[in-house]
Amino acid sequence: MSRSNRTLLELYELMMLTRTLDEVLGKHDGHWHGLEGEEAMIAGIYHGLRKSDVVAPHYRGAVSAALAKGADLRTIMAGCLGRSTSYHAGRHRSDICGPPEYGLIGLYAGSLGPPLGYAAGGALASKLDRRDDVAVGVFGDGTSSRGDCHEAMNMAAVLNLPMVFVCQNNQIAISTELKAGVGGRIVDRGPATGMPGVRVDGNDVLAVKDAMDEAVARARTGGGPTLIECQSYRVAGHFYSDAEDYRDPHEIERWREKDPVTRFRRLLVEQGVETADLLARTDARIGKDVQGAFDAALQDPVPDPRGLDPGSVYAEAAP
Amino acid sequence: MSRMTFQQAVVAAIHREMVRDRNVFVMGEDIGKFGGPLRSNAGLWDAFGAEGRVIDVPISESTFVGAGVGAAMQGKRPVVDLMFLEFLALVMQQFLDAGAMHYYSGGSQSVPLVVRAKFGVGPFHGHAYDHHSWLANMPGVKIVAPSNPADAHGLMVSAIRDNNPVLFLEHMALYHAGKAEVDPEAGEVVPLGKAAVARTGSDVTLVASGLMVKRALAAATTLQESGFSVEVVDLRTISPLDEATILASVRKTGRLVVLSEAIGRGSSVNDVIALAADRAFTALKAPIRKIAAPDIPTPFARELEKEYLPSEDLIVQTVRNLLHPA
Ligand SMILES: Cc1ncc(C[n+]2csc(CCOP(=O)(O)OP(=O)(O)O)c2C)c(N)n1
Repeated sequence: MSRSNRTLLELYELMMLTRTLDEVLGKHDGHWHGLEGEEAMIAGIYHGLRKSDVVAPHYRGAVSAALAKGADLRTIMAGCLGRSTSYHAGRHRSDICGPPEYGLIGLYAGSLGPPLGYAAGGALASKLDRRDDVAVGVFGDGTSSRGDCHEAMNMAAVLNLPMVFVCQNNQIAISTELKAGVGGRIVDRGPATGMPGVRVDGNDVLAVKDAMDEAVARARTGGGPTLIECQSYRVAGHFYSDAEDYRDPHEIERWREKDPVTRFRRLLVEQGVETADLLARTDARIGKDVQGAFDAALQDPVPDPRGLDPGSVYAEAAP
Repeated sequence: MSRMTFQQAVVAAIHREMVRDRNVFVMGEDIGKFGGPLRSNAGLWDAFGAEGRVIDVPISESTFVGAGVGAAMQGKRPVVDLMFLEFLALVMQQFLDAGAMHYYSGGSQSVPLVVRAKFGVGPFHGHAYDHHSWLANMPGVKIVAPSNPADAHGLMVSAIRDNNPVLFLEHMALYHAGKAEVDPEAGEVVPLGKAAVARTGSDVTLVASGLMVKRALAAATTLQESGFSVEVVDLRTISPLDEATILASVRKTGRLVVLSEAIGRGSSVNDVIALAADRAFTALKAPIRKIAAPDIPTPFARELEKEYLPSEDLIVQTVRNLLHPA
């Protein structure tokens, strides 16, 4: 598929933004779940969705998903720092949970899997309303072992829901390698539940984007759900300060050489979309934006501890 | 005797039982070579991995806890690591079934299963939810919540030897927080269903478990300086409840304050209150007080989290007001 220069540059920026989050938030919080190596999947999946589409992102990449859907960088940063200015008012964490006002479904009680069911519900609501909005449910290879994942796919197929399932397969779950966590091929579960299954190179942002576009178009036009398996590798540790003594460092290095950001940058330069100089300037601007948003959020007020009001757990009655 | 952290004591207990009984095995996510998050199973792979008794499983909680139930039905003694208590909701049906099996089978079936879970506000920012109280509503299920390394060891040995499904709670603020003397080969082990009087006193009884015991003891020391004599009952086992120890203490002091790290609504400590109101009413000299987290989900911001948990100060204040009403 031929793409406009604008789309290509937007994809690049989303990848670079993702990389920069890692550097800024990872340095701040050792429990930040690193994104290195997965930038192409993350950009390709979340770029170009509507605000009214529902997205249940995989937690690794959830911040990029929120930003791609239009959430404000500084407000998200405040949410990673537990500031009162955040979307969650400091009550919850923005690194694993995006703002619902942008169609984001995150982890609330921390269990992987249930958000895929909530995303199916988002698709169901769209169908009931006869809208052409879609729902995107993203999960890791490890999360694919949850019953919720199997059940959501089966139900989406049975009800012909406007939904796209995407597996962000980075071949590991904490320390559990793909072969120890997943029997068979994830992509085969598409046809097994009654939907097309597509497998793409997760380090090729355009391959991911092409597969997404096709699946989203199918879902918008009543063609039902699709499963996309993106194959990549978790170059990052499970979290930023992970000692990673359970992995072969040579394997990590081999994948680091396949860095998707470098690969896409080279392609943009080779195809004359942008010069290396201008891309370096883009990188610097994004770096400044992210660091600036983080530094500003750091100065934001912390929540007032007297605000632990049990009354605030219930929504008001409709007027 | 040797000095161990809570985490080391739990692992030492499992190790001891795996040596003693070949039916004991461990199962969970990332518990093999990796040793489990927060070192929850450190060393077991080297000792028993080759025998196939340390089993890494996919992220399939309902099924691997279910498989623990099924293996226990066949006479195995699985120690399943759920990783975090937040995931308890995913395995409620399995606990409900397992708890009913002995009774419904007419007594022929037993389910010697231990499910371990880390929880609690601590250095690990996240996965703090304490939802153990859900299981207090399930007949046949035991709940164990140690407050220190020695009890963690003794109670784990007892839990593995017990013929019932046991939820074993491991508080993350206690997990690596200092070492204490543990006798890893003790002949007598801490029995399930038996509370401990962690400190004797005569003016008021504080009933707590886990981290709240630590805070209750600290508060008791502070109150001692003002001349208040505080007794602290460490439940150790939350189900079944050691009614005799609680009642004896309340009848002695005439005052009761219960502590809950979880929200107060539906909390397992409410049963302690009901017990005292029902069976020690005439001994009470003051209203029973409950100190619990407010009825909201555990908040994220450190400032909110700190305020959310019952603090030593709040315990001290509550006891002062009870003994010397303003
Ligand atoms: C139901 C559930 N089980 C276990 C966990 C603990 N946990 C957090 S991240 C993780 C690994 C997830 O692996 P995967 O889905 O492959 O995502 P990745 O971390 O590789 O991006 C696990 C087991 C959880 N959050 N939820």
